[in-house]
Amino acid sequence: MNKIMFFAHLRDSVGEESVTKDVSGKTIAELKQMLAEEYELKLDSVMAAVNEEFASDDEVIQDGDTVAFIPPVSGG
Amino acid sequence: MSERYSRQTLFPPIGKEGQEKIRSKHVLIVGAGALGSGNAELMARSGAGKLTIIDRDYVEESNLQRQQLFAESDALEKMPKAAAAEKRLKQITSEVEIRSIIGDATPEKLEELAEGVDLILDSTDNFETRMAINDISQKFDIPWIYGACVGSFGMSMTIIPGKTPCMNCLLKKIPIQGMTCDTGGIIAPAVQMVVAHQAAEALKILSENWESVRNAMVSFDLWRNQYTNMKVSKVKDEGCLSCGKERTYPYLQPENMMKSTVLCGRDTVQIRPPKELEIEYTEIAQQLKSLGYQVKGNPYLLSVEMEGQRLVLFKDGRALIHGTKDLAQAKSIYQRIMG
Repeated sequence: MNKIMFFAHLRDSVGEESVTKDVSGKTIAELKQMLAEEYELKLDSVMAAVNEEFASDDEVIQDGDTVAFIPPVSGG
Repeated sequence: MSERYSRQTLFPPIGKEGQEKIRSKHVLIVGAGALGSGNAELMARSGAGKLTIIDRDYVEESNLQRQQLFAESDALEKMPKAAAAEKRLKQITSEVEIRSIIGDATPEKLEELAEGVDLILDSTDNFETRMAINDISQKFDIPWIYGACVGSFGMSMTIIPGKTPCMNCLLKKIPIQGMTCDTGGIIAPAVQMVVAHQAAEALKILSENWESVRNAMVSFDLWRNQYTNMKVSKVKDEGCLSCGKERTYPYLQPENMMKSTVLCGRDTVQIRPPKELEIEYTEIAQQLKSLGYQVKGNPYLLSVEMEGQRLVLFKDGRALIHGTKDLAQAKSIYQRIMG
């Protein structure tokens, strides 16, 4: 199983800070696509972390990994 | 030395030696809004040798809730932020050399300002300028500290040429639709928390405590009670055009810059983003409406009434800003909406 965490406004769109799903074997890009459909999120320019380490779109998720989605923001 | 910096030198990692290093350094602060105000005040109070601050905007009433260097009188007089910041900083300290520049932080301007600078503190509100800062940092071997916030959320990352990955390794394309303060609102504590992270990293770099620099992107949400450090060391990309082996410094090249033109005979500026976009009107329109802007639209364009100006946004990211002939002001309005 995998814990998937959502930061900032993504948390509100999903309605929960994290969800638990089995997404092992999927790439980050595939997971983004899946979540985008399920929760109507825009994840194209959102950063992903696997076990608190930056993950690129082609990284494959392993069983037990924690995935976090963090949107880069520009305000200042 | 007087007692002025005694509490900072009593802090063991800094000490007298670290303080002398801080006193000998020159910091460039890009932007004098919320983050710029906070960063500039902390750098001035810490006794940095020299501060250069550049900003293209003027003080408005809506800034006073979080932009700590400004007073009501600055908003009433529509003082340029850079000038108002310099005035206030000089009241705080006479020991720091402070230079303010009222103008747009274009890549050319940043290259000119980079000379002799030891650290760049990002206090901008858009990724176009940040990517230019990122290239300048690599070209002139100057560390820079990214900081940004929106709502109750904020993030920061320290980029040291030759040691850490750069912003271009991390974000292969500019997330131009990143949320901004004008579209997502902002609470002052989120600003202060980003400033705290940036200024702490700045003190480490200025006092040359390199081993203590954070090699991770920190992000937090003060309202939703989240805090995370995302390690980034693996991201360093040898093929990166900004920091890799064969560099072109893409964001210093004219073809990758936002184009702005005054339209002849009309009180209008056209802005064209470096790359064509595909804009989701509904999302932007909703955000702007919730903030009280008057928004109208049809399938081809979105029209937003601002204070004295009207922004018309097309699907490919091109915009017309009516009611101004000032390129810097038009760019500022565009980036406030688009990030």
